[in-house]
Amino acid sequence: MTPLTQNQTDIVDPSIIERDELVLITGSNGFIGCKVVETLLESGHTYLRCFVRPTASLKRLNEVLNRYPGASVEITKGNLLSREDCSQAARDVRVMYHLAAGFDKSYASAFMNSVLTTRNLLDAALRQSVMKRFVNVSSFAVYSGTGLKRGAVLDESCEIETPSYGRYEAYAYAKIKQEELVLEYSRKTGLSYVILRPGAVYGPGKAGITGRVGIDTFGVYLHMGGSKRIPFTYVDNCASAIVLAGLKPGVDGEIFNVVDDDLPRSRKFLRLYKKNVKRFLSIPVPYPLAYALCALWEKYSNWSEGQLPPVFNRSRCAAEWKGHRYSNEKLKRLLGWTPKVGFEEASQNFFKYLRDTAH
Amino acid sequence: MNPIRVAIIGCGKIAEQHASQIRRIAGSQLVGVCDSEKRMADQLAERYQVEGSFDDVQQLLKVARPDVVHITTPPQSHFKLASECLRAGCHVYVEKPFSIDLEEARAMVALAEELGLRITAGHNYQFNPEMVRMRELVRSGSLGGKPVHIESIFSYDLGDASYVNALLGDKKHWVRMLPGKLLQNVISHGIAKIAEFWDSPDYTVTAHGYSSSKLQSAGESEIIDELRVVISDGRQLTAYFTFTTQVAPPVQELRVFGPRGTLIVDGLHRSVIELTGANSAFKSYLNFTLPQFNLARQYMRNMFSNLAAFLRADFHMDIGMRNLFAEFYQSIQSGGAPPISHREIIFTAAVMDEIFRQLDAAGKDVSMLAESRATMSLSGERA
Repeated sequence: MTPLTQNQTDIVDPSIIERDELVLITGSNGFIGCKVVETLLESGHTYLRCFVRPTASLKRLNEVLNRYPGASVEITKGNLLSREDCSQAARDVRVMYHLAAGFDKSYASAFMNSVLTTRNLLDAALRQSVMKRFVNVSSFAVYSGTGLKRGAVLDESCEIETPSYGRYEAYAYAKIKQEELVLEYSRKTGLSYVILRPGAVYGPGKAGITGRVGIDTFGVYLHMGGSKRIPFTYVDNCASAIVLAGLKPGVDGEIFNVVDDDLPRSRKFLRLYKKNVKRFLSIPVPYPLAYALCALWEKYSNWSEGQLPPVFNRSRCAAEWKGHRYSNEKLKRLLGWTPKVGFEEASQNFFKYLRDTAH
Repeated sequence: MNPIRVAIIGCGKIAEQHASQIRRIAGSQLVGVCDSEKRMADQLAERYQVEGSFDDVQQLLKVARPDVVHITTPPQSHFKLASECLRAGCHVYVEKPFSIDLEEARAMVALAEELGLRITAGHNYQFNPEMVRMRELVRSGSLGGKPVHIESIFSYDLGDASYVNALLGDKKHWVRMLPGKLLQNVISHGIAKIAEFWDSPDYTVTAHGYSSSKLQSAGESEIIDELRVVISDGRQLTAYFTFTTQVAPPVQELRVFGPRGTLIVDGLHRSVIELTGANSAFKSYLNFTLPQFNLARQYMRNMFSNLAAFLRADFHMDIGMRNLFAEFYQSIQSGGAPPISHREIIFTAAVMDEIFRQLDAAGKDVSMLAESRATMSLSGERA
């Protein structure tokens, strides 16, 4: 990790909590979660509770924790589908970073592991009534690209995918429903929350190329719409945005997109990947052709009553491959966030990790 | 004919498959979904545009007024829910495993018979195209008489992280609470294939089971994932059932051996191969070369037949489920025989019960090989 500068740690000051007050991080042994833990410790927070699944490998998390022997870190193992486990996780917590999510391909499982878990966690936290803020880490996947022109700016005011299941992507559906749940709780209970929607998070610890570049299917890599920019956020930059969102005063009820500044075009990223990680054949598919193929696939799927599921469809094509510009203006303005690691350094770190782990 | 009104109780992963296949059956209408977790019912109802979403079974039955209820909850609740639905006058489709034990299976079947309603089990693999083809061949006399021996091999991939991690990581997972744990949740598909052919009144069951080294190295000592079973009527018919998580590539195969022919049904590749006298009619060294031509021709026929079905858009991954639903609804509307006989349902439950009893009796240390045998009657009574 690139160490936070003095300036960055100061950004968290003033904070809505003291540095020795309890902070919960769910999904804390995940790719982003570990960095959030590290960023909190780096910025001087000394009392953390890391919630992990009972079967989770703690190797990555322990590596972080070992560097901060003075911090008081509880590792709580459990299942967020269990209300009892949620009660234990939420006990005395002042700020809750909720990163755990369901990545299952089935809608029911994704819904259970993103929405019901969040509901259980919120119920547990609200029973305690000491929580000051709930940080819900959502995703760019919630956005619809259908109504946006190519090259238009995608910011926090843009449309959410409607209907929520229209893209045939369980993860996006569950994230939309999770956000709806947080808003529902805010209306009903006055819950203080912040929602973050990171773009494509990358960095050491992440395997492969984001689907926003293209798809690897039937042994062929289709590079969809090469001129589009990829809404990347390097994991360190993303983690610092998440940490700030939990601590900064005066941002309750806000939603933030998290993307870096110098976003590469898809073509450039793929070229760098091939040069630095491994060479493979990719077939460029211009966006209009990608859209036509997706429309065709969708039509066949409907005609055949789902013999081939509509995994390629116009909504997905528009959301992932159309090519928009992305704004992080709100993140900078309200949270004082700046991406400390630029694309060049970030991509080299990422590629080195991929080379080293032979992904 | 009025559309058949269908409801689903239990809105988890498998309910999704049910909803999408019910929608494909002309003359059926999904009128209600129910889950004790209302948000789960709502998400299914929203995505499938179902009018009724409930968290109370009585409300579902009263308001949605279904003709058929699909029960897709964990098996611990099957008996209670099926009984409730049957008593409300609904026909019932019960996902596999049909019941917790033989006693519950018998009670559900008896209640349906008493009330004049249809009940079936979710043995949908029985209705995949290759099984339908196999039945056609059996009816046409391919075996040359009654089966002499049956082998059912069912391998299972423990690499499905979404299921296995949930199971291994949660000591309170509902699958762990089943008497047969993992086995109970998956082996009914393989046992049901044997059940179809079993009409002998008495039989013995001998079971061997243990935890694979893979599970043991993961610190798992409760779950048995390797099982070998021998079933015999002591006179004319024997069957082997194999369940394994350690075989790669996976195999799901049924072999039915008759006095004059053998059928090999490959569930993973949707193929049926017929071994008849023609395969062994060659002399000397010709026997090592010419039969292969016949086999190759059969594989080609399977390939073209599968391809043709795909091009007709009649080859869905869940086609067995759709076929079973359609036949079940048809039997309700026409008053004909149910697609799966009650005898088969009871046989499957009885054999499973006996397997779990033997494994349990072999000791709590499941890493030890368990071996036992018992004699059963067709009704599932232990002699």
